[in-house]
Amino acid sequence: MSFSAMATIPDESPKELLQKVPAAAQVCLSCHGVNGEGLGVAGPRLAGLSSEYIATQVSHFQTGSRQNPTMMAMAMTVQGDNIKVVSDFFASKPVTAIKLQYRGDKVVIDDIGEKLAYQGDWQRDIPACTSCHGPSGIGAGQFPRLAGQEPTYFKNQLLAWQTGTRTGDADNMMGNIAKKLTAAEIDALTQYFSAQK
Amino acid sequence: MKLYYFSVAGVFLSLGLSATELPDRQAQLPSVAKDANAQYLTPSELSTIPKGEFGDKVRKGYQLFVNSQQMRDTYVGNELNCVNCHMNAGNKANASPLWGAYLAYPAYRKKNDKVNSYEERIQGCFTYSMNGKAPESGSESLVAISAYSYWLAMSGLMNQFGITGPVPEMTDGELLKGGNREDFPLPDAVTSKLDQKALTMLPGRGFPKLAKPELAYSVQRGETVYQAHCQACHGDDGQGLKMAEVSSLPPLWGPQSYNWGAGMHRVNTAANFIYENMPLGKSMQLTVQQAWDVAAFVNAHERPQDPRFKGHIAETQASFHQHDGFYGKPSPIDASVTLGVEAYPIFPASQ
Repeated sequence: MSFSAMATIPDESPKELLQKVPAAAQVCLSCHGVNGEGLGVAGPRLAGLSSEYIATQVSHFQTGSRQNPTMMAMAMTVQGDNIKVVSDFFASKPVTAIKLQYRGDKVVIDDIGEKLAYQGDWQRDIPACTSCHGPSGIGAGQFPRLAGQEPTYFKNQLLAWQTGTRTGDADNMMGNIAKKLTAAEIDALTQYFSAQK
Repeated sequence: MKLYYFSVAGVFLSLGLSATELPDRQAQLPSVAKDANAQYLTPSELSTIPKGEFGDKVRKGYQLFVNSQQMRDTYVGNELNCVNCHMNAGNKANASPLWGAYLAYPAYRKKNDKVNSYEERIQGCFTYSMNGKAPESGSESLVAISAYSYWLAMSGLMNQFGITGPVPEMTDGELLKGGNREDFPLPDAVTSKLDQKALTMLPGRGFPKLAKPELAYSVQRGETVYQAHCQACHGDDGQGLKMAEVSSLPPLWGPQSYNWGAGMHRVNTAANFIYENMPLGKSMQLTVQQAWDVAAFVNAHERPQDPRFKGHIAETQASFHQHDGFYGKPSPIDASVTLGVEAYPIFPASQ
């Protein structure tokens, strides 16, 4: 098994790739990329998210729990069984393996984003992000992957949780945490997690 | 007949425990009602742990505490981490902080008529809460966890009483004993204000005692509470959620959770814990009734066997379970099942 060979010779050409995209997911590609890799400010990365998370978010855009003009319109084009088709498709896209950092790997952490990620700030009842989002924020289930996410999107989500234009989680757990974060902390978290790739 | 049965159980207790028998080191946590004006210890930042051998032990203790899975199969037999119940790395008041426990040991226990050291209390955590195997007395991990606990306690006291300078170092042997002893070195500024007894009962120690529920707790109502407020993190089957082979969100019952000897299997202890500390980050507050109901629901499921079990559920129940728990009783979910009969293995190899 040669990984170097696999890395240099693409398994499929871009054209072949496109043919494998389910019809229902074609509408997503111009912003999220053929491999759900994300296209910068145009659209966040979907690869690395679970199918159940993607499906839930599609329905949140449809019902207005998440407010975003583009995505609210786009989500309406995906209905019924197609929600699962689209979600499974992007969830199956691979992400590059990263070296995982577990809680406790570092005792003293200077970066304020990294410190919140692994230790939280319990004076304000802010748990460590990684206690729900996993080592290095790789996520699973209804907890989205944070590692390697597109920074503009990442920051906008924390702001959306703060202002309430994003809701839909159990007991407003994420909104409650986001409301306690300062602007500098949001920037630091954005920088930290988007760099984990 | 029944009277006779219980008097036999009484004899078991009064005889104490033989040398080969596992001691009960997860007796009910002392809990008092929360005082709104309480001043809690505020230990120093981890960045102030000194360089050198002593500081290395403290740091190691912190690391074992937040990532206990590095001891999986050596001392830990389930998917839990210490920090799952002792929030903020054992530092948070009202979440059984290590600083509170450290200053309360060594402690005399009526139950086995013995003085238990801090080290022995930590061994109990491995045997019961972690469904594992207690590290040998004096072993590196016990020294590390004791050193970390001591450092939290002493730095917290020094901060409270305005004492500057580094936390005084202690030998491994001293660290393992705990802080509730006459020869425990305490600064005069502390002893002039607090006596030994007060130090064993610092505000924020253990989990705060919750008022009794209005209605007798109900597993059925608890299930509804669970589905509304707990399931998002702990899963519809109570098995938590694994990410990169680690249960970031801990299993609450089943083979990978605490066993039938752990303090948390008591409905009252779990209710105290849940009311004060859940959901993580406190985005909402359960009612007193909801906390009791959901604590009962969680603890009415099968889990790993009580390590003191010798082959007879009824005997183990009579000797060790005269309290608020479901061990040895018919399952409230399925009355044909006696809880404990189908218990999962103690300290299993990981899958």
